[in-house]
Amino acid sequence: MITLEQLEGVQKITWCTGCGNFGILAALKKAIIELGVPQHEIAMVSGIGCNSKMPHYINLNAFHTLHGRSIPIATGVHVANTNLSTIVHVGDGDTLGEGLGHLIHTARRNVNIAVFIHNNGVNGLTQGQFSPSAPRGYVSKTSPPPPGAPMDPVNPVGLAITGGATFVARGFSGDQKMLVEIMTKAIRHKGFAVVDILQPCQTWNRKLTWAYFNEKTYSLQEASHDTSDRWKAIERAFENGDKIPIGVFYDVERPDLASGLSLPEKEPLKDHQTDLKKLQDIIDGMLL
Amino acid sequence: MDITLQIGGEAGQGINTVGDLLAQVFVKAGFHTFTINDAESRIRGGYNYTQIRVSDNPIHAPVDDLDVIVAFSDDAVIKPRNKLANDGVIVFDDNVEFKDIEACHYAAPLQKVAKEIGGHVRMTNAAALGAVLAMLKFPIELAEETLSSIFKKKGEKVISSNVAVARAMYDRTLEEFSGPCSQNLSTIQQGPGIDKMLLTGNRAMALGAMAANLKWISSYPMSPSTALFQDIITYSRDLEIGTIQTEDEIASICMALGASYAGARSMVTTSGGGFSLMVEAVGLGAMAEIPIVIYNAQRAGPSTGLPTRTEQADLLFMAFASQGEFPRIMLAPKDPLEGFDVAVRAFDLADKFQVPVMILGDQHLADSTWSTPPIDVTKVKIDRGSLSSKGSGDYERYKLTNDGVSPRAFPGDPGKVVVSSSNVHFEDGHITEDPDVRNAMVQKFLKKIPNILDALEPPKIYGPEKADVTLLTWGSSWGAANEAVEILHKDGVSINQLHFCDIYPLRTELLTSVFGQVKKIIAVEQNATSQLAKLIRMETGLDVHHHVNKYDGRPMTPGWIIQQLKEGGVL
Repeated sequence: MITLEQLEGVQKITWCTGCGNFGILAALKKAIIELGVPQHEIAMVSGIGCNSKMPHYINLNAFHTLHGRSIPIATGVHVANTNLSTIVHVGDGDTLGEGLGHLIHTARRNVNIAVFIHNNGVNGLTQGQFSPSAPRGYVSKTSPPPPGAPMDPVNPVGLAITGGATFVARGFSGDQKMLVEIMTKAIRHKGFAVVDILQPCQTWNRKLTWAYFNEKTYSLQEASHDTSDRWKAIERAFENGDKIPIGVFYDVERPDLASGLSLPEKEPLKDHQTDLKKLQDIIDGMLL
Repeated sequence: MDITLQIGGEAGQGINTVGDLLAQVFVKAGFHTFTINDAESRIRGGYNYTQIRVSDNPIHAPVDDLDVIVAFSDDAVIKPRNKLANDGVIVFDDNVEFKDIEACHYAAPLQKVAKEIGGHVRMTNAAALGAVLAMLKFPIELAEETLSSIFKKKGEKVISSNVAVARAMYDRTLEEFSGPCSQNLSTIQQGPGIDKMLLTGNRAMALGAMAANLKWISSYPMSPSTALFQDIITYSRDLEIGTIQTEDEIASICMALGASYAGARSMVTTSGGGFSLMVEAVGLGAMAEIPIVIYNAQRAGPSTGLPTRTEQADLLFMAFASQGEFPRIMLAPKDPLEGFDVAVRAFDLADKFQVPVMILGDQHLADSTWSTPPIDVTKVKIDRGSLSSKGSGDYERYKLTNDGVSPRAFPGDPGKVVVSSSNVHFEDGHITEDPDVRNAMVQKFLKKIPNILDALEPPKIYGPEKADVTLLTWGSSWGAANEAVEILHKDGVSINQLHFCDIYPLRTELLTSVFGQVKKIIAVEQNATSQLAKLIRMETGLDVHHHVNKYDGRPMTPGWIIQQLKEGGVL
């Protein structure tokens, strides 16, 4: 239903040459065409960071918001109009730092939105400080010297699974075919979908490079992983040594948040008019 | 007639239930009531009380003297003793250990009668009611009808037991108590009042929000705002309103902004501490021009402060919260009925001007109960402001217009792409750092202000149009100040009141003319630094002559204000 031309971004891209975000944008466009829903039924919410400029490079309804707060904002968009496919683009500095609490609470609520985390281990736009997903020992301008970041990274896949997300995957900006497939599934999934997307930051990150990811990543699905098994999924999520699994870790069905709220049955919340006669009855019931 | 009853005891002893029963009895008998709850921040124990003032005139404030006290603990017997009126009475349950009996004390078998006559200690409430009414010589028949209708839903047995307990304690009190009690309502007829409801500020504003087609509320519990949130949740299934208790106040306001961006009228409720967490998102709402209604039930701060007590000290904080400069609207209702109207207006103003609208309540307004006439919501009409016409075409969310307001569209509208951003943006919502666009967008914000000022209500003068002395008030302090003005006016003092409900942006016409006329203008505020007076000085250069400030967390009384004016040499 949507053509590539329709999705053509309004603004000129400002990312650095060779940035991992290009691969994610290309995959997103393909995934959206694949979805086959009308353009106006998609809403994108982004945070703050290089990745979060995405709304200006693809022509969709969009709300470019605050660092760390995209997920609750997207929750609001979703409940107001559950007919929309609501997707979130955030960075690791954004959603694994300031927004980490929201990620976990939204996972346990199983909100029917898809979150794409552009994960490059650095806060790029603020010039390369170590992010919450930087590996232990990562040296940057703000990590204490030596020995570099004296702490372990956040594990977004592991956290999302234990938090209660019902679709959890990891993609790689350099593996387009798999990334398009994962993104399409994540958006179609009825429930909270989290996709950790590995991407190099060409300018700042000397460790997590194209070569590094090309060498370390392997396909979970080719390794015959059972995506309905939570414990197996968690085991795989913590397998972050010499080899990094990419693909779908976990994919199950559970009631989503909207099904448990008192949303109108016949129309989106945004179009519903409260019946004032019913409210008057409630007030009359309070009369002495 | 003007009497005040106090029911005191530990948290969890049902003192509010007795208070509520008494208020209902008097309202049904045609009188006006005003109830305050004084509670410590704890679930059980402590010393808490509820005070019910009853009058044949409308009343809006507590007073200092107590006529009848019912006590369920020794603290509740001892602590209010110095507030007891001459010929007042303190009734306490005879289980309470208290030995210093004076003529004003009556150790009543409240629990005993409840158990013996009603069969359950739960009926102590009805026994207390019977004792109080006997002290006032209030005709018990009038109360019996009320009790029957209060307990109607609970069945015949509950009605008859409660009525029997109340009557038994009533008779026993008349028989046993021989001390003085100045009140005698034995010849009372149906009063003149037409009040039909008992409304707290929180409940009235909840009703207003629901009447205004509120469709989404996301909040985190924080005293004293929570009851409003809970009321909306109670009725959300019937009225199809989306509600959620979030992980924190940041998520609350962010969800509400998301829902509003997508087209649903949205609100958050909190107190000062929660609003502190929301501040970043207030700026987002302003920059992205997303309507939002924020209710702050103020309590004494800073930090945790006095969680269950009142203050009006967040005015300047809210007026300037967030980095950057942008229009916002601040409203502070004086009582529940105005709270209902303010809630309806808040949503209209938010949609019309696409700005954050802040309702400043406080614990006194939020938790106190006024008797009021019935509310009719069937005539409420709402105004969603400027909306983009249907159909495709190049929609621009931030189209520059003469009045600074751009027609809204929502994601999901066919043929439109709706882009919003927290960055400075072009008319189409996409980001830019262009200086000319930046200037145009700041001017877009500023253009809204004159029209906002026109849409706001001017302040009102209460009392004589012209006077030598004017009390300057805002929000819930209206009640005590208004009564102080009435009392002083009757005593021949040339005094009136200039009161603000719509606070910001500040309407200055009437203010300037009052300043030009009076000899003395006195800020009366429930804070330490006269924040409205400061705002007025900032906006107009005009300074008040004297300050009356209360910041102990307890609401003002008319008597306290008069005393302050006298001690300050104003009168």
